[in-house]
Amino acid sequence: MSFFTSGLFWFLEGVCFCLAGAALKHYLEDRGIPMRWWKWMLFAGWVILLGFTIAFITTSAGENETVAALKGGIILVPISIITGAVIWRLLKAGRRPVISQASDQD
Amino acid sequence: MSKAEAGKRCDRRQFLKASGAAGAVLGSTGLGFFGYAAGKDLETYTGCVNLEGAHQLDRTKWQVDKPHYEAVGPTDRPDPRTEFIFDRGMYRNTQVFQDFLESHPEVKEAEEEMARFRQQMNKPRQRPGESEEEYAAKIKAWEEQVKINSEEWDRLMAEDQRCQEDLILSEAWSNAMGAVSPRLSDLVQGGGRMGMRGGGILPGQGGQQQQQEAEPSWAQTSPEKTDAPRRREPLVMKDPKLTSKLIKKMAHEFGSVLVGITQLNPDWVYKYGRHGRGFEPDKVMEVPKHWKYAIVVGTPMSWDPMYANPNFGTSNDAYSKSRIVAYRLTAFIKALGYWARPHTPGTDYDLMVPPIMVDAGLGEQGRHSIVITPELGCNIRPAVVTTNIPMATDKPIRFGVQEFCKGCKICAEICPSGAITRDDKTVVRGYNRYQINYSKCHNFWYCNQGNIGCRICVAACPYTRKANWLHTTALKATAMDTSGVSHKVLTKLQKQLYPSQGKPEDYYMARLGGKNTSYRQPPWWLRTRDFIEL
Ligand code: SF4
Ligand code: SF4
Repeated sequence: MSFFTSGLFWFLEGVCFCLAGAALKHYLEDRGIPMRWWKWMLFAGWVILLGFTIAFITTSAGENETVAALKGGIILVPISIITGAVIWRLLKAGRRPVISQASDQD
Repeated sequence: MSKAEAGKRCDRRQFLKASGAAGAVLGSTGLGFFGYAAGKDLETYTGCVNLEGAHQLDRTKWQVDKPHYEAVGPTDRPDPRTEFIFDRGMYRNTQVFQDFLESHPEVKEAEEEMARFRQQMNKPRQRPGESEEEYAAKIKAWEEQVKINSEEWDRLMAEDQRCQEDLILSEAWSNAMGAVSPRLSDLVQGGGRMGMRGGGILPGQGGQQQQQEAEPSWAQTSPEKTDAPRRREPLVMKDPKLTSKLIKKMAHEFGSVLVGITQLNPDWVYKYGRHGRGFEPDKVMEVPKHWKYAIVVGTPMSWDPMYANPNFGTSNDAYSKSRIVAYRLTAFIKALGYWARPHTPGTDYDLMVPPIMVDAGLGEQGRHSIVITPELGCNIRPAVVTTNIPMATDKPIRFGVQEFCKGCKICAEICPSGAITRDDKTVVRGYNRYQINYSKCHNFWYCNQGNIGCRICVAACPYTRKANWLHTTALKATAMDTSGVSHKVLTKLQKQLYPSQGKPEDYYMARLGGKNTSYRQPPWWLRTRDFIEL
């Protein structure tokens, strides 16, 4: 079994994504962007889509299925970018003016 | 809050944000590495590394009481004299076969097709003593028949020879894989190659067989001799369920990846004895009473060459492994005092294996007639042991293959010989099933370069995929879906994302109008020109 399919790898992935989630929360707070449960759900859905895109392309490449990697990439990457942009706009809905010092430094 | 405190908090906040960003980048990159590893990982080549039956999925959720095929009228047993393709040479000139041809026009058509292929594949040679004029006339007549110009044929022949050189490593590998091949008569003698102590008889137990001389060859391997136990009295097994567990564990220990157990349905046993199998040939064969159960074992063909079919792949690798497992299992059961007989690839069978695999819960039979298993798709080469050791049997499984095959037809579209039907199931010997034109399939085995055979339908079937997250998710989705929506979507995706490298006609040798195409590129270790100066 390779390290990248082991339990330790998934533990480290979990740590990375928890850190990223916590950082996102601070980042959005600093920018005065309020988060509701549905926004978190939307964002989580997008992360899953992005993860699927990355894993699909690389898995296909690993399997030597170049057509699948290419076509999958051509379809999934633009979908991920477009949905990412749309979701970012939705996240920004209801943004409050920024007053904190920390946010000035963003 | 003092300025210093605020600054500290701000630093911490900044640090957290920075590490979060790094985490996101690392996590995403990690996903990329995970994907690549999942695609590349040898362990996802199910069955290659784990003697416990790697990645064997939990089948209990798919178990059903009845197999997917149905008896829709009076049933009959298969006649090996006409239906067993490898015995055809023996029977081609008999009345039985001629009568069969009359009632099976598709077989007659395939026989004629092969005669045409042979003519096109082989340019007449100049015989000793044949004058130049005579030879030229012969060539002219041949050119007219095969509708090909002689120089063009020479060019195509050179192309085929070049391809044959590319296949040197693959042929050497295939031959090596098939080099170990136990014989049925080893089981009679029980010694030496079967590795039984004391010539196959446990100390103090005595034995039932004696080699007899001057017997007809079929009698030397008759079931009464070959299948007989190695003890006078069978050992008392505590519980059929435990025995099943033990037999399955042993099968895995002996190298099997999948194993299932069923009661033997006599309808799957050949109606007539085959030559060299211990039954009087051409006589109606009585199913021996001790063939009560059938244990099916199976191993996959090496995955990368399998995808590089028809020319780089071979069946010899999995044939050989499954054969050895079946012989070992037979020897093991006999040592416990029970009757057992192996039915092994390539041609040493007294029965049809696919329906037995279905009965034993290994999978469902697909449109291409091959049994599709959840773990290996149809990349499985099985062998059977018939025995009377009391065992608990497995239930058949249904995981959506019949429904998927209705709309998929990928194998039928890519099959070079056109052997796989695009139509619905038909009734064969009283059973409702897909029927392939095995004569046409068999023709194509001789129409491509390299190791004999073709396994393109195995490689192209959407179920024959590595056991990584991508394909097991798709498998589970199709198994759960009763609406058929996922079947349609996945069939479309399969055609778009995993297309064949060539059209059906490209798989033929150049002399027959093809391009010697393989379904996928061969793995690095079968690329002859990278290793050998030619
Ligand atoms: S390729 Fe499609 S139709 Fe053919 S056996 Fe596989 S799933 Fe069924
Ligand atoms: S083995 Fe080849 S020729 Fe035979 S049915 Fe499959 S694809 Fe067709």
